[in-house]
Amino acid sequence: MRFPETREVRVDGVPHGRTNMVMQFEAGLHDVTLGPPWNFSPVAQKILLFNTAALDPYRIEFRILPPAAIPISPGSPP
Amino acid sequence: MLGARLGVLIVLSVVAVGCAHYPLNAPRAASGDAGAGYRFPAMVLDRPDPADEIFVCLSFSGGGTRAAAFAYGALVRLKDIKIGRAGTRRAFLDEVDCIAGISGGAFTAAYYGLNGADTFKTFYDRFLARDIQRELALSTANPVNFTRLVSPYFSRIDLAAELYDGSVFNHATYTELAKRRRPYIILHATSMADGAPFEFTQDEFDFLGSDLGPFHVGRAVAASSAFPFLLSPVSLKSYPTTDFVIPPTVSSALETREMNPSRYAWARQRLDLMAGKDAKWVHLLDGGLADNIGLRSILRAYDRSDGFIAQRINAGHIKRLIVIAVNARTDPPEQLSRQERSPALADVFMKTATVSMETLSADTIDYAISRQSEREQAETNVRLCNERLASCGAEPFPSFAQDIRTCFVEISFEGLPSPAREEFLAMPTTFALPEQTVKRLIAAAGTLLDSSPSFQKLLRALQGETAPGVGLGERGNCS
Repeated sequence: MRFPETREVRVDGVPHGRTNMVMQFEAGLHDVTLGPPWNFSPVAQKILLFNTAALDPYRIEFRILPPAAIPISPGSPP
Repeated sequence: MLGARLGVLIVLSVVAVGCAHYPLNAPRAASGDAGAGYRFPAMVLDRPDPADEIFVCLSFSGGGTRAAAFAYGALVRLKDIKIGRAGTRRAFLDEVDCIAGISGGAFTAAYYGLNGADTFKTFYDRFLARDIQRELALSTANPVNFTRLVSPYFSRIDLAAELYDGSVFNHATYTELAKRRRPYIILHATSMADGAPFEFTQDEFDFLGSDLGPFHVGRAVAASSAFPFLLSPVSLKSYPTTDFVIPPTVSSALETREMNPSRYAWARQRLDLMAGKDAKWVHLLDGGLADNIGLRSILRAYDRSDGFIAQRINAGHIKRLIVIAVNARTDPPEQLSRQERSPALADVFMKTATVSMETLSADTIDYAISRQSEREQAETNVRLCNERLASCGAEPFPSFAQDIRTCFVEISFEGLPSPAREEFLAMPTTFALPEQTVKRLIAAAGTLLDSSPSFQKLLRALQGETAPGVGLGERGNCS
């Protein structure tokens, strides 16, 4: 879960920890996004976990949006 | 004239009681708070609850009064065991965060969830010492109840539910159970339609479009202990809803059946609870048919992404995870293979209802142990890898938010010395046991905890730690 800042990670709609850590989930499809502020991209990622391990994890990356690309309306993802 | 009026009154009364109907579960208010109801307290990532650090779950198996007394004995012993250092010493029991209860074990779990420390003053007389079977038989023989049983919408399980509700649980509802935040009580039943496990939690009732709050705990316990052939199922209504959003963990699971069949089956079973345009009914039997040890709901909370244990582990809030299975399983001497004639129909019925329980329970325990060791192995791998990387000045590998210590303890009659072992393993499943037997069952749970190497290792670690998770140098399960 790579992101330049420490940020809340939400998986399948619930908070699960912070960015730049290894997390444990069961095999299958999961929806991953970050907590506010909504200055990241992509908005959410669908990941398919299968045959991963702590030393061979599925790597997810979010990037910080430039200020001009941050949505105006607060409280919702861009 | 008076006789005619009396006759009319009697006829009307008979018609009225003959139209008896079991109490319906309430629909969920359309504008209700989606997060409200009987659920495990929500996790706040930035404000770890100190109660999460040492996270303890108990599972109480099925087995009638035998299981209820054995589970009660475990509670008594855990109440008397003190952990922590001087100044912060507290009862082990106060660390318990969740209890899963099945059938007989559901009585103890629910009663403790409602009454806390008062359980140790009242539960023995209110339930364990009673001949519940005789009381149920008397209730059935009551002419008024006999007439109510004529109704197709009222059966013996409803009488049992009334008996438990009034005389054991004092008419308490889940709203009252929710007043004590912990331990979170998960009572299990089995859906008759597809054999799926059913948990009495608001998360499960959401799929029914129903509010668990006004539901009586005694009725949930009746569902959990509705042994097939002896008692009829407890029925719940599933209401059509328009505002319920299927949780992402369920919708995602449905898309990847081949990758994770058990997750798919769980999601499919949740959807099967939902009514379409028209209402439907879910008929619930004894929870032991799907999981007689009660561990599966705890394992789901560990495995599923919306599980309250998984969330807290990934967030680094849990430092030590302890699961104690109180298993009152029996293994009476096998007689069927010693007779030449084909088993009688009653034997076939009984075996059909119980034979799969043992296999399922053994599989569940194996799964719990393997999940625990997988996590510990993963943590060890990352730690060893990072030690190597550090020795050559390389960047460390990302690690878990918190390495956790895990502990799985199962106590069962198998651990008793002979001849008590054989005697307890041959004990019947009934809701009426002699007081002396009940007292011995209570004592047996304490003896087994005191003689469990894993549990004693855990106590050593908990007594001596300067901080949770540090341990004393012992390794492996419960260190």
